[in-house]
Amino acid sequence: MGDQSNSPSSSIDSSSHPALCSPSSIFQTRRDLLSTDLKLGLGLSTSALHGCSSKEREQLSHWPPIKPLLRSTLEEKVHRSHSKTFFVKVYMEGLPIGRKLDLFSHNGYDSLMRTLRRMFRTTITCPDTSRVPPEKAHVLTYEDEEGDWMMVGDVPWEFFLRTVKRLKITRADKC
Amino acid sequence: MVRGFGWAAAFPDEVWEHVFSFLAADADRNAVALVCRAWHRIERRSRRRVFVGNCYAVAPAAAVRRFPEVRAAAIKGKPHFADFNLVPTDWGGGAEAWVEAMAEGWPHLEELRLKRMVVSDDCLELIARSFKNFGVLSLVSCDGFSTAGLAAIAANCRNLRELDLHENEVEDNCLNWISHFPESFTSLVSLNIACLEGDVNTSVLECLISRCPNLKTLRLNHAMPLEKLVSLLQRAPQLVDVGTSKFSADHHPELFSKLESTFAGFKHLKSLSGIWEAGPTYLPAIYSVCESLTSLNLCYATIQSPELLKFVSRCKNLQRLWVMDLIEDNGLIAVAASCKLLQELRVFPSDPYGVAPPISLTEHGLVAISAGCLMLHSVLYFCRQMTNAALLTIANNRPNLTCFRLCIIEPHTPDYISQEPLDAGFSAIVESCKDLRRLSLSGLLTDRVFKSIGASANRLEMLSVAFAGDSDAGLHYILSGCKNLRKLEIRDCPFGDKALLDNASKLETMRSLWMSSCSVTLGACRQLALKMPRLNVEVIDERRGRPLESWPDDFPVEKLYIYRTVAGPRSDTPPCVWTV
Repeated sequence: MGDQSNSPSSSIDSSSHPALCSPSSIFQTRRDLLSTDLKLGLGLSTSALHGCSSKEREQLSHWPPIKPLLRSTLEEKVHRSHSKTFFVKVYMEGLPIGRKLDLFSHNGYDSLMRTLRRMFRTTITCPDTSRVPPEKAHVLTYEDEEGDWMMVGDVPWEFFLRTVKRLKITRADKC
Repeated sequence: MVRGFGWAAAFPDEVWEHVFSFLAADADRNAVALVCRAWHRIERRSRRRVFVGNCYAVAPAAAVRRFPEVRAAAIKGKPHFADFNLVPTDWGGGAEAWVEAMAEGWPHLEELRLKRMVVSDDCLELIARSFKNFGVLSLVSCDGFSTAGLAAIAANCRNLRELDLHENEVEDNCLNWISHFPESFTSLVSLNIACLEGDVNTSVLECLISRCPNLKTLRLNHAMPLEKLVSLLQRAPQLVDVGTSKFSADHHPELFSKLESTFAGFKHLKSLSGIWEAGPTYLPAIYSVCESLTSLNLCYATIQSPELLKFVSRCKNLQRLWVMDLIEDNGLIAVAASCKLLQELRVFPSDPYGVAPPISLTEHGLVAISAGCLMLHSVLYFCRQMTNAALLTIANNRPNLTCFRLCIIEPHTPDYISQEPLDAGFSAIVESCKDLRRLSLSGLLTDRVFKSIGASANRLEMLSVAFAGDSDAGLHYILSGCKNLRKLEIRDCPFGDKALLDNASKLETMRSLWMSSCSVTLGACRQLALKMPRLNVEVIDERRGRPLESWPDDFPVEKLYIYRTVAGPRSDTPPCVWTV
């Protein structure tokens, strides 16, 4: 299991693995960086321990040799799958008290609309397909990272997730 | 018989120039230049392409002076291990000195290719203003510039044909840099902006693409939504090389059919890349191009095996395949059966830090490829297990390998069946593959493998070693053998002073040597520097503040970079680098 201890004893049979004495090689397994069953038994010289800084420890983790672009793509994928929630505020026109909604718990616009209709007990329609008269219908809008208010549904879901800051349900005849 | 070298004067210079124009290889032109003074003069005045493998090996002014008529220059800066963050960010490799010298001495420069260099916006502006007929700018793994610098290039390079930005770190401070290409600009043939993080204005890009009829290569960046990508690509059905943006979105039947018809319209598509985050939804829309593809880069496509397999096995004419290990052994077995023309395979790790359940990609996949793909000559393979038997089989199947890079993810991993070191396997590779030019080792390895490499790897030019060897003997075998070795990079090996000093003169026959986390002491570096004045021995140490002079001889060197140079010690070393 990954741990922070500096164990100088070798866990590999010395007959098949002669001690590797490298003054500045200190292996510290960090759970998030090295495989948890990484077993490195290396003979350490005491001078090496003094010379070790946290910066050095980090550099030793630059393994396996993959380029930064691939590394960040994979990290982003891991981060996204670990990021559990993304709550945004939702207001409905005319109601002073807003609600909060976790966008990550939805996988698309349909799911989002269904939840909002249930939360606010109103029909939320897409303005171009609506058969409900404008004065009764509501549409869903959002504030993007530039501060503009936009109609929800124009851009792909993942793109929407990246730019949305908050939601607002407004009357259709305002759009 | 004409005395001395008077025969050279038997023909006018122009005739010799014409003869030399058939010599493409730098090595041949260099050889020609050594024959006699006349040829040296004629050759240097007629050389049009220059490649500088190490920007510090020669002073820019000297290079520009010697070859006054250069039209195309390629320059490399930082050591290869900079790609994996082993080189301090301020180490060097700045492009200013070169760009300034070139602006001064090569006003007719048309092509500039920089790799692993620090390029500032000022540099880009200087490039944009200095070369009237500038046509090709390629920046690979560079940093130090922003989209404002790109705007300067766009605005001023009237005849730009290629703008290739490959894996650079670019600051995004000029959102509309693409709009700086003037309305009259129509010469673009190749545009690669895959590494840019920010959004690119799609409508401006659409206009640009529409007015450049010769556009053959278009590689977009991650940020563009799939819908916008589709409308963009519709404008350029003549494309030969496409790099898509994100390939995932909610399923919209309309988008699917638009994507399908757009790709069906590509009659000449040979190369496909990008496909970030591809989901199973949209990949089938582009099946129509599979048959014609010769190059496929799916290393950012984190799709699972069944979909991946369906796609790749349709690509019967593939010569180059870059893919994630999500393809698994079964996928590679299918590739071995379908892609008979495969020459280059790269398999990248989807989970390098081992946090997810393990993928079923083992040595079997690579063995299958080596058996089924007779033209395979270049391999980069990340995996978690290997055996000597598998390596032997691969070596016997594919003696035509020229590049073999195996990365077993855990250091010191032995043959998982016999528990032996992988010496025998890698030895088989170097003994069988006589034309091997590039080799990367991994797994549990003793000095024995280095003995084989030193003895057999006669064509080897680049060797990468990590977590291997028992003693100095390992390094000694390499440096005393490997006749054609140019670049050697070593990390975390018990190699030290003796091997270095015993083989000092070898280092001048090589471009460079990198050693980090090995057993070299400062004393040896001092001795080496004294003995070999035409080597720069750079000691890199980010830990201490005290100057080099005050450290004792037995001080362990953290990182060492040695390279041959005729320019002497460089003047731009940062605080963490000392030229001994």
